[in-house]
Amino acid sequence: MVKTAVRFDNVVKAFNNVEVLHGVNFDIQQGEVHALLGENGAGKSTLLNILHGIYAEYEGSVNIFGEKVAFNSALEAINFGIAKVHQEINLVQELTVGQNIVLGYEPVKRGGFIDYKAMHAQANAILRQLDCAFRSEDSVKGLSAGQMQMILIAKALYHKAKIISFDEPTASLSNKDTETLFKIIRQLKRDGITIIYVSHRLEEIFEITDRATILRDGSYIGTFVTAEIDKKFLIRQMVGRDVASFATRHKPSQKTDKVVLEVDKLSREGEFSDISFKLHAGEILGFAGLVGAKRTEVVRAIFGADRADSGVIKVNGKVVNITSPSEGLDAGIALLPENRKTEGVIKYLTNADNMAMASLKQFGNIFVNHKIKTDSCRQFMEKIDVNPKDPNYITSNLSGGNQQKIVLAKWLASDADIIIFDEPTKGIDIGAKAEIYALLEEMVAAGKSIIIVSSELPEVLGMSDRILIMHAGRIVKEGVPSELSEEEILSYAIGEGGNE
Amino acid sequence: MNKLSKLFLVRENGIIIALAIIVLIFSLLDPIYIHPSNIVDIIDQSTINGLLAIGITFAIILGGIDLSIGSIFAVVIVGIGMLLVAGVPVILSIVLGIIMGFILGVINGLLVAKLKLQPFIATLGTMSAYRGVAYVITGGWPVLNIPDNYRKAIAGIVGFNIPISIFILFAFAIVGHIVLKKTRFGSYVFAIGSNEEATRLSGVNVAKYKIYAYGVCGIGAALSGMVLLARLGTGEPAAGQGYELNAIAAAAIGGTSLAGGRGSIIGTLLGAILLSALKVGLIVVGVDTFWQYIATGVIILIAVFFDVLQQSGSIHNLIKRFSKN
Repeated sequence: MVKTAVRFDNVVKAFNNVEVLHGVNFDIQQGEVHALLGENGAGKSTLLNILHGIYAEYEGSVNIFGEKVAFNSALEAINFGIAKVHQEINLVQELTVGQNIVLGYEPVKRGGFIDYKAMHAQANAILRQLDCAFRSEDSVKGLSAGQMQMILIAKALYHKAKIISFDEPTASLSNKDTETLFKIIRQLKRDGITIIYVSHRLEEIFEITDRATILRDGSYIGTFVTAEIDKKFLIRQMVGRDVASFATRHKPSQKTDKVVLEVDKLSREGEFSDISFKLHAGEILGFAGLVGAKRTEVVRAIFGADRADSGVIKVNGKVVNITSPSEGLDAGIALLPENRKTEGVIKYLTNADNMAMASLKQFGNIFVNHKIKTDSCRQFMEKIDVNPKDPNYITSNLSGGNQQKIVLAKWLASDADIIIFDEPTKGIDIGAKAEIYALLEEMVAAGKSIIIVSSELPEVLGMSDRILIMHAGRIVKEGVPSELSEEEILSYAIGEGGNE
Repeated sequence: MNKLSKLFLVRENGIIIALAIIVLIFSLLDPIYIHPSNIVDIIDQSTINGLLAIGITFAIILGGIDLSIGSIFAVVIVGIGMLLVAGVPVILSIVLGIIMGFILGVINGLLVAKLKLQPFIATLGTMSAYRGVAYVITGGWPVLNIPDNYRKAIAGIVGFNIPISIFILFAFAIVGHIVLKKTRFGSYVFAIGSNEEATRLSGVNVAKYKIYAYGVCGIGAALSGMVLLARLGTGEPAAGQGYELNAIAAAAIGGTSLAGGRGSIIGTLLGAILLSALKVGLIVVGVDTFWQYIATGVIILIAVFFDVLQQSGSIHNLIKRFSKN
């Protein structure tokens, strides 16, 4: 008889009154490998975070083996037998394999001393079970990404996990390591462990999973037996939203023939290679691709936030050598970074100060004229509708969307003519998104040129004059939105380039 | 209510209140404490620490620290001491002393900003190295017979028995305050201390401004050293050991966060005066020296705890509850 391992019952989750999961219902059976699919922002991570006790506040219920659970922390979920193998491998590099496996739950002797003998014995037993070539006593440093992932799986087994979720487990693995991982997953399945598998690599879904649940924009779309469906069907279910998306241009394209930025064979070892493209005055150029396609790395190298190994960048036909963001700005390039909290907003600073950070020179070379600065901030606030409209308000206390508008205004106020937006609407509610799209149009109307990196397909399709699709550090396709469908972009982005 | 909570929420007001309480207690214990000459004495005694503390406030707001200020202090003392003894004019010696402090500070800045050393470790290294420089250039001996015209120019007395050095303290505080609050450099110091990466990604040349800030720190140490040299009339290469800790204490009491991004010169100045008021008070009422250390320690802990409360908003809530009843 099939037992139900997990049942999601009408799960609703909202952040700051923005609903991101709209009543999700489905079952995961014990001992199956269950895929969780959807575009970026579909709600997969939110759902997993609820399962793993990271979000304690939600509506509806989660039942594990028939028992309703309400975890208040990740620890409670782990103790209940629910483990997670993270996308980014978090191990303490300075400790041994065994110490990492038992971390926080070390076997102890009398007197509270760690029983290293018992620890290594237990850890080695698990590593043998997983057919690992390394031992508990080995140092974590120097192990491959695949081996480190095995440590995470060993850790889950040490905690006697009955349900293990894998979030993009193969993103950083070689083909051989992926084979090994699949072998282990099949073995875990035979032992009756339930696996939840999240991946953008659709071929893997067909290889390893039994059933697949699809989410789209926070709604449950359906659960399918993977043997009975094909890739085309999956992609259609994943993207099949209203074609009339709100990310549309309201003004005519401002694109001209004048090339303002030319990137030629930009490369960095192990990250991206042979990135060549041109950006025209007044153009909005979209960079599409999946998380991990190295788009962020490319634009950071163009701006000077990181260095590239080789390649030439020309601004208005002149070769520029940009080695730092301040040189990037001098060359007329600006970057709105992906991570608003750590790279965008400066804590403790007011709206006026945050907004003026890239253009402080305009308010005086040595002394800053605070009055003009504040007035200019107030003017921008009228234009971009920040709430509250107070130049002296501390930016980090604003809502996410309002913070993003302040960071955006920082670049509006600067002298940069080429502005790169990395995920400009990430984690922002729909209303603020629409306002940001309108701002992008105003900027090109004012003569600026824009590159927009976005993992949201409707955004890239709706806003761009031209689209470049990246996969695994390379540009694999260039096209105009009218000739590309979401399905096509997605298939290029997952490396299936054109072959149906 | 709003006014009351604002009074507590502005950091400088908190120190003024604490200072007022200290002054009140000691004057009740011994009325001589509020005699004008004693007040001048309190401020005068805060000069050496105050100048160091104003300098280090720049490094701390930046998110760094400078442990070497006590050693820069000593290098400047013996350095300009030797210049003065060799007959170099007073004004030129003072200018050279300031330049000396600036350069030693800039070296710290280069280590931190260019070699990316952790500020604590980098300045721990230069603390020892600069101290060595002070000993090497004097051969370990003190520099004696500092000319009187120099001593009068810095530690001399003007009307109302006020030493000139107090004006140096206030002048440096005013300049420091203006630099921090009104200049581009000052804005960047706060921004770097608050979020260095976001500031760098705003196109700010972070390394340059970090180096300047450590340079200011060195200037503070130089000015402080010159005051001591003028007071004592001899230049000891061993002078200033441990002074960095008093300077950090004054900044911390003044509300400068050691995590960076927050702080003020006025707060630091008040912090230095508060420490001095406490010390003088304990002497006036005849408390044993050993107890002075304990009292100073407790004051630092209270001040920092007050800061924690302020940051978490607890004070605001407390006042709210208080005013409701």
